[in-house]
Amino acid sequence: MNATDDTVAGEDARHDGKNRASRPGAPSLASLGGWRALINNPGLILNTLRHGGAVGQDALGNRYFEERRPTRQDGRARRWVLYAGRARDASLVPPEWHAWLHFTTDAPLSDANRRPWQRPHEPNMTGTAFAYRPKGHDYAGGARPHVSADYEPWTPDA
Amino acid sequence: MPKVTVDGIELEVPNGFTVLQAAEAAGKEIPRFCYHDRLSIAGNCRMCLVEIEKMPKPVASCGQPVGEGMVIFTDTEKVRQSRRNVMEFLLINHPLDCPICDQGGECDLQDEAVGYGRDHTRYHENKRAVTDKNFGPLVKTVMTRCIQCTRCVRFLSEVAGVPELGATSRGETMEITNYVERGLTSELSGNIIDLCPVGALTAKPYAFVARTWELRKTDSIDVFDAVGTNIRIDARGSEVLRVLPRINDAVNEEWLADKSRFAIDGLKRKRLDRPWIRQNGKLQPATWDAALSAVVARLNGAEPGRIGAIAGNLCDAESMMALKDLLVGLGSPNFDCRQDGAVLDAGNRALYLFNTTIEGIDEADAVLFVGVDPRREAPVLNARIRRRWVENTGFVAGLIGPYADITYGCTHLGEDGAALRALLDPAHEFTVKLAAAKKPLVIIGQQALARPDGAAVFAACWQIAEAAGALTADWQGFNVLHNAAARVGGLDLGFVPADGGKDVAGMVAGGVDVLWLLGADEIDMAALPPDVFVIYQGHHGDRGAARADIILPGAAYTEKPGTYVNTEGRMQLAQRAIFPPGEAREDWTILRAVSALVSKPLPYDDIEALRQRMGEANPVFASPDTVRRIAPQVGLTPKGDSGQLSDAKFTAAFATYYQTDPISRASPTMAKCVTDILPPAMPAPVQQAAE
Repeated sequence: MNATDDTVAGEDARHDGKNRASRPGAPSLASLGGWRALINNPGLILNTLRHGGAVGQDALGNRYFEERRPTRQDGRARRWVLYAGRARDASLVPPEWHAWLHFTTDAPLSDANRRPWQRPHEPNMTGTAFAYRPKGHDYAGGARPHVSADYEPWTPDA
Repeated sequence: MPKVTVDGIELEVPNGFTVLQAAEAAGKEIPRFCYHDRLSIAGNCRMCLVEIEKMPKPVASCGQPVGEGMVIFTDTEKVRQSRRNVMEFLLINHPLDCPICDQGGECDLQDEAVGYGRDHTRYHENKRAVTDKNFGPLVKTVMTRCIQCTRCVRFLSEVAGVPELGATSRGETMEITNYVERGLTSELSGNIIDLCPVGALTAKPYAFVARTWELRKTDSIDVFDAVGTNIRIDARGSEVLRVLPRINDAVNEEWLADKSRFAIDGLKRKRLDRPWIRQNGKLQPATWDAALSAVVARLNGAEPGRIGAIAGNLCDAESMMALKDLLVGLGSPNFDCRQDGAVLDAGNRALYLFNTTIEGIDEADAVLFVGVDPRREAPVLNARIRRRWVENTGFVAGLIGPYADITYGCTHLGEDGAALRALLDPAHEFTVKLAAAKKPLVIIGQQALARPDGAAVFAACWQIAEAAGALTADWQGFNVLHNAAARVGGLDLGFVPADGGKDVAGMVAGGVDVLWLLGADEIDMAALPPDVFVIYQGHHGDRGAARADIILPGAAYTEKPGTYVNTEGRMQLAQRAIFPPGEAREDWTILRAVSALVSKPLPYDDIEALRQRMGEANPVFASPDTVRRIAPQVGLTPKGDSGQLSDAKFTAAFATYYQTDPISRASPTMAKCVTDILPPAMPAPVQQAAE
């Protein structure tokens, strides 16, 4: 549900993790959603209050945290995410933060480098009304386009 | 009969058996790349090594004759290690491109590598690369994969008789090549694809199309010539992707002609997939209901004696039976399956079959061809005759008809009727040779019979055969070589004009008002009077469809279960591989539907009942895959007055081997063959016939 910290354990990432000059500051309970959030999810919120430093927030409102003081054996600071809504779905994490979360990059990729062809991140819509339906699916109209045959029919003009 | 011991199994094998054959007889499998049952022994791959007692080194079993008391070991550690070493040598230069190789899944090298391959290489040198050769539009080459087994070289020079391949250089630089940038000219070239144990030679039209395990395999019968080659149709979904030969020693051994193998892309083009009705001079798409009621209106409106039917070259016997029954029910005597107008007497099988049978060719020692080019009209059968010529130094062959290179020594005796008449003289040089032969063959082609004086040609050939001793009590050497898969079946069913009926020429000349063409495209459509109402039932939009007033879409040979009788009278069953396209239906069901609508319902509702009906019409259809060698009937002669043999020249059966029927005319591959395969360099015919 929260931290994903051990997928990419490269030498560089470990090195950088240790030597980070400034650590993010502790979040306030209010910024994490107040008492209601604490009651709903006491372990995560308490852990985030005690160890977490707020790093940032993505376009969907998911907030990302990093340990203020590294506790991992390898000296790297754990990173984790608090999802914005009720959904607990890893596909909600956009690629720029996904890279950071998995220690591929030291900092989340900045929006400054966005290319015009990059589309906004879209989570997996399976099971929702926005799920992908192929052409001809009953929920997508049910009308199949006429497929051209795998043979060439004869016509008198040909 | 030497006695040998193979891995402790004692057995007796015939003289002249090789160690490999002895091991096979004992049920031991010997890996091999260069050895092939039907080719000469090369012994150059060294994969078939076995150990033989009292021999210091492992021996290549394919080339080692058995000796009395030989003790053979096929599976010792030494043998296995030797084979592993051979495999390692073979793989030094063999590319590791199995994932992009068309042979993947059916590759001998792949299979043997499972048993004898190393899991890694010990070589760091670069692999040898070889330039790809141009073998024409049918055979794709990736010569870097070649392991120099020379099967292709041996096949083309020994079986196909077109020595166009060879090896240049030696050792690592050895290459299989055709020396010049010119495709293979053999009609059997596709077989080297099957023979190649690796992916060096693959089918060009089939390149990167499918993997062998994706294909649905169906046993069938080839319809592009009258040999009745046993084939396997490989299909995926609704597409026929390739055709391969099946082994049948009595018919095609394991060879397949190129047209049969590669014309299948014609099955996807110019298909009739819906009924058409001509309205105001223009064909309009129609529904089955409309088309059938139009047909019925015409049939009911016509005088029974003015309805006719012609069956084409690719028809299955079922549809011909149904069509004949339909016409008989309507009261019409006009039906004919001899589309080319050949004079064939359907009354006696001995007068229209290849009586010697295809297997019987293996006994023959002389042959006379009359008005036939066996190389183009029946390539697989010609390869069998050629083998007799190779085996038998005294084999005599003569040809009357247009000069053709038939891949073996053959005297061209002339190309007109006069040359045939000259052979009637017992003193003629060739007649003497033919008479001296113990088992001579006289093979007469369809073009010789389709002449106006066809009956006279037939009678002359019969006379020559009789004089040459080809019609004795123990040798029937008079043969009619057909070139249409449907013909013998049609003759067996009696699909020839009944009493007072009109034949093809009579019907085309305007003897009928309603003409039913069952896949008949080879008749002269221009000669048909414009007021003849033509119903074309078939699978391809070809000459017949263009002339038709109503088109009923039928099924091609891959799309229906069918019965075909080959030129020697062997009845064989073909299975359905795929379904007909669009609204097309199996042909006999169309005829059954029409018969019900004209209130003359045919007495069969399924194909079993129809086949039973065929068996009643002619017992031939009750015994699949059997052929009886007809003992010559003493005193049997062609009926009637044969007339005068004219001096006209014999003509070739078709302009090009590659386009002879609606399917091959629709095939882009065949069209490419016509433009790309240069005719073999043909020397000016030397006039050897001495009058």
